[in-house]
Amino acid sequence: MATDTTHADARSGTSPRGRKPKRPFLHRPAVVAMVFLLPFLVLYVVFRVYAVGYAVVLSFQEIQGIGSSEWTGLDNYQRVLTDRTGFTALRNTMLYTIGTLLVLIPVPFVLAAILRSRWVARQSMFRSILFLPVLTSLVVVGVVFSLLLSTNGLLNGFLGLFGVPAQAWLETRHLAIPAMIIMATWRWTGINIIYFTTGLSNIPNELYESAAVDGAGPIRQFWHLSVPLSKPIILFVTVLTIFGGFQLFVEPLVLWGSGGGPGQGGLSAVVHLYRTAFTSFDLGYASAIGVVLAAIIMVFSLIMLKAFGFFAKDR
Amino acid sequence: MLAITGFGRRRLRWKAVLIAGLLVAASCGSGDDDSAADGDGGAANGEAQDIELEFWTFVDAHTDFMQARADEFNEQSDEYNIILNASSADFEDMHDRLLVALQSGSGAPDIVDIEIQRFATFLRGDVPLHPLTDIIDNHRSELVEERTAPYRADGVEYGIDYHLGAWVMYYNSEILDAAGVDVDSIVTWDDYIAAGQQVVENTDAWMASIETTDRFSVLGPMLQNGGGTYDENNELILDSPENIEALQLISDMVHEHEIATASAGGQHHSEPYYQALNEGQYASVWMPLWYVTRFKDFMPETEGKILIRPMPEFSPDGFISTMGGGTGTAITTQIEEDKLEAAKAFLEFAKLTYDAQVSLYTDLGFDPFRNDVYDDEALTAPDPWFGNEPVMTNVQAMFDRLAPEFTGPRYPEAVLQLRDVVAYQVVEEGADPAEALRQAAEEIRSLD
Repeated sequence: MATDTTHADARSGTSPRGRKPKRPFLHRPAVVAMVFLLPFLVLYVVFRVYAVGYAVVLSFQEIQGIGSSEWTGLDNYQRVLTDRTGFTALRNTMLYTIGTLLVLIPVPFVLAAILRSRWVARQSMFRSILFLPVLTSLVVVGVVFSLLLSTNGLLNGFLGLFGVPAQAWLETRHLAIPAMIIMATWRWTGINIIYFTTGLSNIPNELYESAAVDGAGPIRQFWHLSVPLSKPIILFVTVLTIFGGFQLFVEPLVLWGSGGGPGQGGLSAVVHLYRTAFTSFDLGYASAIGVVLAAIIMVFSLIMLKAFGFFAKDR
Repeated sequence: MLAITGFGRRRLRWKAVLIAGLLVAASCGSGDDDSAADGDGGAANGEAQDIELEFWTFVDAHTDFMQARADEFNEQSDEYNIILNASSADFEDMHDRLLVALQSGSGAPDIVDIEIQRFATFLRGDVPLHPLTDIIDNHRSELVEERTAPYRADGVEYGIDYHLGAWVMYYNSEILDAAGVDVDSIVTWDDYIAAGQQVVENTDAWMASIETTDRFSVLGPMLQNGGGTYDENNELILDSPENIEALQLISDMVHEHEIATASAGGQHHSEPYYQALNEGQYASVWMPLWYVTRFKDFMPETEGKILIRPMPEFSPDGFISTMGGGTGTAITTQIEEDKLEAAKAFLEFAKLTYDAQVSLYTDLGFDPFRNDVYDDEALTAPDPWFGNEPVMTNVQAMFDRLAPEFTGPRYPEAVLQLRDVVAYQVVEEGADPAEALRQAAEEIRSLD
């Protein structure tokens, strides 16, 4: 009892005689929390909040060259609506995002389910191997894929085995997006498998055992147990893939330099933003593109969340 | 003995912190003072003053070149001893960092290489580069004047190039011989097309390759025909009749005469293209003269087979070459005032003097833009790789028929339009050259 009282007093921060103990300023819980949080908060405020806020401010200015800026109201946003190159970039980005969604959700999910099954030995080894592309330097990835996707490259050699004629993946406008999706599939399948494996491991084995007793085979178990019970993780990976798709930047850069690829077929919205900011040094308009892009990503994400019933319990 | 109270201890602690701070500040300050003193003392004693200059580039070979010039400068100069801190970074990375440093007001180097495609970006608004007109004036009578144009704004020069970049035609003599074509019979573009038809009929090679993801194949003939992106008055001329005529010629070569095709890899700076050219898939290619280094570095099978000639002419006595690519070395306005004169003296020595221009050829393999060096024995020697001909002497013969290149305020965007859109549409999709150029020009004009 005495012990309980002491603990209670300690928790309430009062001494047994009802007086608050004198604590050095730096030892106060609120101060300690603030001290530990401060480095993050400072960095977050300076490099995120301030940067984003400043970008919004810049989006209302015309900045042409060093040291010149002029308030232009909504001119930059009006320009976004008539920017032909911008629309091409946005269309490419959306096609890429849709493509990656179609590949990078089902394929890693099925692979994760197979990897978790009892038929696969050395599961962790396979997971590690599949994760390796994520760790590979992008410069190396760019060089390797430039060779793989070249007209006389390995991919065409492989497709040739099935009678598919050689394709100029990196030199044809309509093949630029598929080329980037192939590259993204190689890079991101591994990490998505990790996500899905984590999700699948949270499903109790008893459910599978019960289903098996009821006569459900592996495919029925997959469709009627694994898929519906993995909805939260599928939603998570979907939103991440949308973010990644709209932020497409490095892939076109390593495949085609600062160019937009053949006939602008590889030009992404972020590469367009980057080129506007650094090649044209039109920081005001580049900021407006960034703000619009952020709004589009937000809308898409909300649509996805709504479609998956994320807001259902709020009602 | 004094008793130190709590209050006294706190005061002592603050004093200790204050003293430590002052010591740090003093040591930092004394470092500067020492270096300044060294320099001043050196100068006062008749010794060369140490000048530390930071130099950024995106070409490794340029760091070696400038370092070698700094060593030579220091041997000859009584006034300054240049300590060059040269560093090389990726193309995009270096230009982006430079832009951010100049915009933010700190962190920029003293001297920097800016590629021609990005140079115009730095000439907008308050130009953050020091004028170099005075040091160029010292050598102007000897220079190929056209080469200073791309780095000029409002009559003031802000950059000095590494080469002339004269546009030439590289012919594979082995393929032409097999096709029964005499290379010296090709004078006009009509001759070139006729020769191309012979090549296509009699060999497995194409006459020419056209880039679809870079600008050189389309920009070269445009400039040679008196077009380009801008005229001398800073007017955009992307859809000029000269450009349309040049692009129509390229389109005809691909679609009507079928002697040219899209280059392997989409551009002339790609592994697949080097491989294709090395294997003899193309009988010729038009590129600036600095492309000679690509043959020697990446295409060993072409040794002894490549002949360099002027571009075929559009009209009698018309231009037979122009200039392509380039990198202007500039001095940023963030350089300390007391270093500026030394930096200009060094840059003049490193880029504009006779010996420096000879070194541009001997060290880097580039064509110099100073007339008088072309008689130097280093440049008149025949080159076994290129038909054992005196390549540089032949280049000098083109100087009086060399079209200038002007780079206006939207040059970077104009180049992107050519490399991203126009070349691809015309070559791969058979678009009408006039319409493709009109749309590109409209896109550029809509930016202002």
